[in-house]
Order: sequence, then structure tokens, then C-alpha cells
Amino acid sequence: MSEWQRKSPLEWQTYVNKEVKVTAAEKHEYEGWVLTIDPVSANVVLVKLTEDGKVCVSVILGHAVQEVEIVNEGDDETKERLAHLFMPEESRAYGHEELEKRKSSLKTWLETNHIPVTEQGESQRTLCVAGVLTIDPPYGPEDCSSSNEIILSRVQSLIQGHLASQ
Amino acid sequence: MKVPVSVTRLPRGPDGTSRGFDPNSPRYQALSPISISTVGCGNEADLEREQQGRVALRERYLRSLFAMVGRTIHFTMYERVNVSAFFDASDIDILNFQVSDLQTPLGVHREALLRCSDIISYTFEL
Repeated sequence: MSEWQRKSPLEWQTYVNKEVKVTAAEKHEYEGWVLTIDPVSANVVLVKLTEDGKVCVSVILGHAVQEVEIVNEGDDETKERLAHLFMPEESRAYGHEELEKRKSSLKTWLETNHIPVTEQGESQRTLCVAGVLTIDPPYGPEDCSSSNEIILSRVQSLIQGHLASQ
Repeated sequence: MKVPVSVTRLPRGPDGTSRGFDPNSPRYQALSPISISTVGCGNEADLEREQQGRVALRERYLRSLFAMVGRTIHFTMYERVNVSAFFDASDIDILNFQVSDLQTPLGVHREALLRCSDIISYTFEL
């Protein structure tokens, strides 16, 4: 395992949002802004933002990375663009009451489907399903988090069904 | 006359004699917990900081994989091999990519699995 692959997530994070030059196997060289480094494979995701709005993404596999050199510390504007690149579309803002309504109607729906739900977190705004899946506001299918993909897809399709039936 | 019966048999396990997993196989080693390093053992605050860092990095990476689905991806592989294909899926350990319409110097493969250990880099446009 190379030195790059052995780095810790905190060390990798120091490269995020910075412009770097990566030297890889067989004398390949890549330049771009670091979007992220996959903590499992150590793959480096580089983004090139062009003037005409095009985005070119290059990923160098962790095992092929030989050297990473920071050439530019970065600025807030680029950081902002990178943060929104692959994130889902900003959902519209919901009022407090509307969120409360969405939450309770989803909770009832899950309970009628015999799925155990509890409320947790700051002011009980997160729904928790069977202790293994959480649903954050605004409680859509994209707001579910779980490390169990079977439960995740099951609950996501239930929420989809719930939204479709409304 | 007796008709021969076809026998369906599961493939042998990685060590050739049983269905157990051989701890020396490349797959086992790539998946073993020691391949994911941690510095925060013992200190809970450090461990949590590290986990949060790992989550932030991993989420961005998974979303970048998600954005690749259905796009043409150009792969640079070892020995100066360049191929392109439509990306379909990856396993969670990023050991293999499943692609379709793989354009190779020898022709087009309808469906293919690329071993990530053979790839140096891949590129796509948004």
C-alpha cells in the first residue's frame, strides 16, 4: 500500500477545495481542484471548471497516485461551486409548520405500514426507523440515510408511494 | 439409453478446497478492516472528528459516482490502454466498475467489468 493510501481522512481533508497537481503511475499528470478523496479507495476526484461553464472531472485511482502537490490554496468562490457540484438540487424552503405537518403525516404513513418510527435529535426533527435509518427534513426519499441498502430502498419506495398518494 | 444429467455446482471457494474465504486472497485483503486506517483509537473526540471527515469525503465520492451513471467515461489503464464506456455501477469497495458498450481496440463489448486495480484514472464531462 502506498504512502498516499495510508493517509488518514483528516490528512486527506487538508487537500479538499485546493488546486493540486497529481503525479500518477506511468508518468501521467493531472491538475485540478480537489472535490474529494474517497476514504475507502483513496481515489482523488479532480474538477476543472472552465470559463464557459463546462465541468471536467478526472479521478485518479488511489493505488496509482504517486505524489500530490498543492499549487493553489483556493478561494471561497471555488469552494462554493465545488460544494454544490454533485449535491441534489436545493429543495425549496419549508416553513416550520409545513415541516411539522410533513413529518407527522409521514410518521403515520410508516406506522400504517407496520414500520417502527421514533423521533430523535435536536427538537425531535429527525425520524428514526427501527434504529437503522434516519429521515431528515424535508422528509423526502432523498433525505433518508442508512448503511443498510435493503432497508434504505424499501423505505425510500414507501416514501415515494406516500408522496404519490397525496 | 440413459440420458446424462447436467450437474450444476457452485464454484469452489478462494482456497480451492472449501467454500471458506482465504485471508490471503486479494479480495479479502482489499476488504479487510486493516485497509481502512484509523488514527483515533482510544480518544473518542479524535475518533469522532475522523469519522465526520470520512463521512464528508465519502458522501462527495458516492455522489460523484452517482453523477457518472449513463455518461461516457474515458478510462486510462496501465500499459497505455485507453478505453471508453457507459458507466453503470460500482461495488461499494471500489474494486470493480460495471460498464456497457466498452469501446476497445479489439471491438465493442456490450457489458463488461473493469477491475479498478487495472485503471490509472477516468475522466468525464458534465
